[in-house]
Amino acid sequence: MIRLRPVARLAELRLLVWVAAFSLAGYAVVVAAAAGKFSWAQLLVPVIVLGLFAALHAFLVAVGFRGDQLLLPLALGLTGLGFVLVERLAPNLLIKQLSWLVLASGAFVAVILIPRDLSALARYKYTWALLGMALLVSPLLPVVGREINGARIWVGITGVMQFEPWELVKLALVVFFAAYLDEYREILSAPPRRFGPIPLPPLPYLLPIVLMWVVAMLVMVFEKDLGATLLFFGIFLAMLYLATGEPFYTVIGLLLLVAGGVVAYHVFGHVAARVDVWLAPFASDLRFDTGYQLTQGLFSLGNAGLFGAGLGNGMPERIPVVWSDFVFDAFTEEVGFAGALALLALYLAFVYRGMLVALRAPTTFLQLLAGGLSFIIAFQTLVIVGGNAKLIPLTGITLPFVAYGGSSLVTNFILCGLLLRVSDITARVRG
Amino acid sequence: MTGRSVAANIRGLTLIIAILFLLTSIGVGYWTFVAASDLNGDPFNPRLIAAVRDRARGRIVDAGNGDLAASFRAGDAYRRRYPDRSLAQVVGYASFKYGASGVEGAYQQALIGQDPSDLLGQWRARYLDERTAPGSIALGIDAKVQQAAFAALAGRRGAVVALDPKTGRILASVSLPNYDPNLLVDPAQQDVAWGQLNGNKDKPLLNRVAQGVYPPGSTFKIITAAAALESGISPDQRIRVDDPFQADKSWGDYFVRSATRAHGDFDMALAFQRSENIYFAKVGLQIGGANLAEYARKFGIGRLPDLDLAAAHGQLSNAGSLDRPTLAADTSYGQGELQVSPVQMALVAAAVANHGIMVQPHYATAVRDPGGGILRTIGGGAGDQVIRPETAARLTQLLVGAVEAPGAFAFGARIPNVHVAGKTGTAENPSGSPHGWFVGFAPAEDPQIAVAVIIENAADGGVDAAPIGGQVIRAFLGK
Amino acid sequence: MEITFALLLWGVRIAFLLLLYLFLIRAFRALHRSLDEEKSAVSARSTGLATLVVTTSHRGGPRVGERMPLRAVSGIGRDAGNDVVLNDEAASAKHAVVSFADGEWWVEDAGSTNGTLVNGSRIWDKERLHYGDEVQVGRIALRLERVQ
Repeated sequence: MIRLRPVARLAELRLLVWVAAFSLAGYAVVVAAAAGKFSWAQLLVPVIVLGLFAALHAFLVAVGFRGDQLLLPLALGLTGLGFVLVERLAPNLLIKQLSWLVLASGAFVAVILIPRDLSALARYKYTWALLGMALLVSPLLPVVGREINGARIWVGITGVMQFEPWELVKLALVVFFAAYLDEYREILSAPPRRFGPIPLPPLPYLLPIVLMWVVAMLVMVFEKDLGATLLFFGIFLAMLYLATGEPFYTVIGLLLLVAGGVVAYHVFGHVAARVDVWLAPFASDLRFDTGYQLTQGLFSLGNAGLFGAGLGNGMPERIPVVWSDFVFDAFTEEVGFAGALALLALYLAFVYRGMLVALRAPTTFLQLLAGGLSFIIAFQTLVIVGGNAKLIPLTGITLPFVAYGGSSLVTNFILCGLLLRVSDITARVRG
Repeated sequence: MTGRSVAANIRGLTLIIAILFLLTSIGVGYWTFVAASDLNGDPFNPRLIAAVRDRARGRIVDAGNGDLAASFRAGDAYRRRYPDRSLAQVVGYASFKYGASGVEGAYQQALIGQDPSDLLGQWRARYLDERTAPGSIALGIDAKVQQAAFAALAGRRGAVVALDPKTGRILASVSLPNYDPNLLVDPAQQDVAWGQLNGNKDKPLLNRVAQGVYPPGSTFKIITAAAALESGISPDQRIRVDDPFQADKSWGDYFVRSATRAHGDFDMALAFQRSENIYFAKVGLQIGGANLAEYARKFGIGRLPDLDLAAAHGQLSNAGSLDRPTLAADTSYGQGELQVSPVQMALVAAAVANHGIMVQPHYATAVRDPGGGILRTIGGGAGDQVIRPETAARLTQLLVGAVEAPGAFAFGARIPNVHVAGKTGTAENPSGSPHGWFVGFAPAEDPQIAVAVIIENAADGGVDAAPIGGQVIRAFLGK
Repeated sequence: MEITFALLLWGVRIAFLLLLYLFLIRAFRALHRSLDEEKSAVSARSTGLATLVVTTSHRGGPRVGERMPLRAVSGIGRDAGNDVVLNDEAASAKHAVVSFADGEWWVEDAGSTNGTLVNGSRIWDKERLHYGDEVQVGRIALRLERVQ
């Protein structure tokens, strides 16, 4: 089934050499600083990780993959930084993260090989919608559902393996929106009537999307996860904008978001608590209570300076759950503002490249798909970095590729694989 | 195809994302550069505390080099010991979990060997983990005055502060209720203690000397008198007092009341002795609210004192000015909407004592290096001339009269063979029975000490507070 | 900690940041290069993903050498709703569909009266199309070519 027609992917290979270089250097400093001495044997884990990276590259070469050569090195570069930070912040989770990486790589390979025709995804759009809903509801089910840290967003067996299904739901959501909006784009973007400058959308056609969104919101409210709710809303607005280019949908959407936020603030205790902490984390009644995590994060940022305290030389471990919620602050403390800028630039490069893939994609469905996927990475990065830096309320969203967390790593590798598939199709069409 | 193409929308979205990335970078830059020094100096920043977890912090000592805070080894970490509970809010605590407060917080960097004046030492600590040995902090606290103040307050809720009017060095500082800081640095007890202290409605963590604000009551008449003397009102001029008083019918059913229900002619000396509200209300109205407000500002009312520990700024009035006549009248005798801290009132007395010059108050006097040499001294600024020396001299006479004259309210502060200048105050407040005040200084001829005393909800107001002032002054003068 | 070890650590820390930035610079250079390519590719976009070039025609039909752009799914037929409109009585209203899927071009007869031929042989199923292959619809032959 797999036809081997190797092609050279030299640009990708060259970039991966740099990834290997800085990942090894970073990891070596972290283990040496922690142990007070250095031996080559300590580099076993990063060598395995880099071996896995090389294998992914070799796989793409072997199957004659003609897609983009920049996205994978960027994603793997971020993943490499992620391993440096897991070793720094939570070394006991390193092996777990490594096994998740193996799983994620498997998922990536699967996405590259199947489905043979990516456009087929569009044909089963309602299946994706239903699957997404099922995944979303699964944590609420009695046997498999788990509530961790106050959010009921997990499925799995305690102690063995837990998964956050909503990570996959966001992909299903993008596929569904891309397919649906592709089909009804013309009707939606050319509303027959306008009320002043406000377009009156053909409501029956918007109904399925709005319905899906409402269900997502309701479920998220029950699962008490602010971050996922925000992310779904962001995807919804961005996809609608990509398809229609109608600024009023976005404006109305943002107004809805503000209104919803105000209502949620007054109705839901967990939302109010988040907002209060955001407004005044240093307040004397919060700083040792709910504001503790954020204040410790800000202390980390304050200790950063331009070049940081040095990897392994800061104190980010004082931040509770730093390895999944506050990796950005931890990285900034030790590598400085210069490091933080580099990290943000890596994300921006990934998103820019993803948007370029979208721009070049041959069909509207593929354009919307690639645009939506790239948007996920951009939005997650902005929301979590903004939360870490007290620019917006903190949410449970993780820093893509870098933060510890299996569900998000697997999902982001699938996302990267899908973007590569779109670029591969483009390359083949253009010959 | 209608409308914009998907490609154009992709470009638009990418542009928005790029702008948001830029804004986020600026936000991160704010914390790493602009806010960094605040964050790094924050007494709750665990980096400062952890820097000394595995070695001793510097000592905090009083004027006689007695220990107020010292480190000892407990298990795998160093811990602090605080021998003098009466200085709980001043010395503060350095907890690995709850941060640092008081002198422990304000001089944190010096106490861990990273004094801002030692840049090389800071650099070596940050990048090479090689720390300079910590120095010590010397406070101006005089142990015998401190003990006298603590004993005199006798467990009542309130505060006592004594300072040197010439230098601003704080000699004694008691705030009750207080707490045992040793509990907050003991890992086995700190959580329970922290919870109890924060839940306590009497606020034992608060340093009432600088952070507690109260209406000043009659002690504020010193400022009204200073303004009057400098505005051309003769202290010998007799002013008619008839209780109750209102300036005109527009005051409606509002009256200024005399504490002694007085009817008669008062000069300034008698008005001070009897603490006559109506006299000062009339004087205040005569010189005008704006004029009075200006003098209050000069004396530091409503302004943050330039203290080396946390302090409150209080207020002259809710709006910051005295434009209503009733408000000006009420403020003249220390009620209205005034809020002042004991250290602010001690500074008012100190300015009168020091020929009209108000100096900077400070708890610490020096940062010492590990060898005991002086790294830098604290305080010692020139001070501001807030009133003329002649005005100060005249006020001193009046205040001696307020203590020594027959029937004077502040008789409790009298000391044999020493002229004490002082003023009591009884401050009406919404939280129950009035607070009792005493502010004063001694000896009147060559003032060495200025004090301010407040007793919250005192039974007999200022009459209760005056003897405490007397005992503190006596302890200092050794009489 | 020994001072040489501490200095060594700092050397590697600086190297880490340096390498990170070098990677970033390479990545952005690659991004910049592809943006340049994109500019030249934009003009090609209006000509479609590939073209059908008319090789055989008749009077009243399209002129030989005319290039017809293809979308991802393009209908061919006499009807004006098709992407490739052929004025030929022998062609059905909806004659055939050329589509791009799975990285390849495909052609399928849409139930036409006279059938569709690829390189001279009639097709009954969805057939692969290679660049250079010739599709015959009615009396008109079209060759699949890359966009120039």
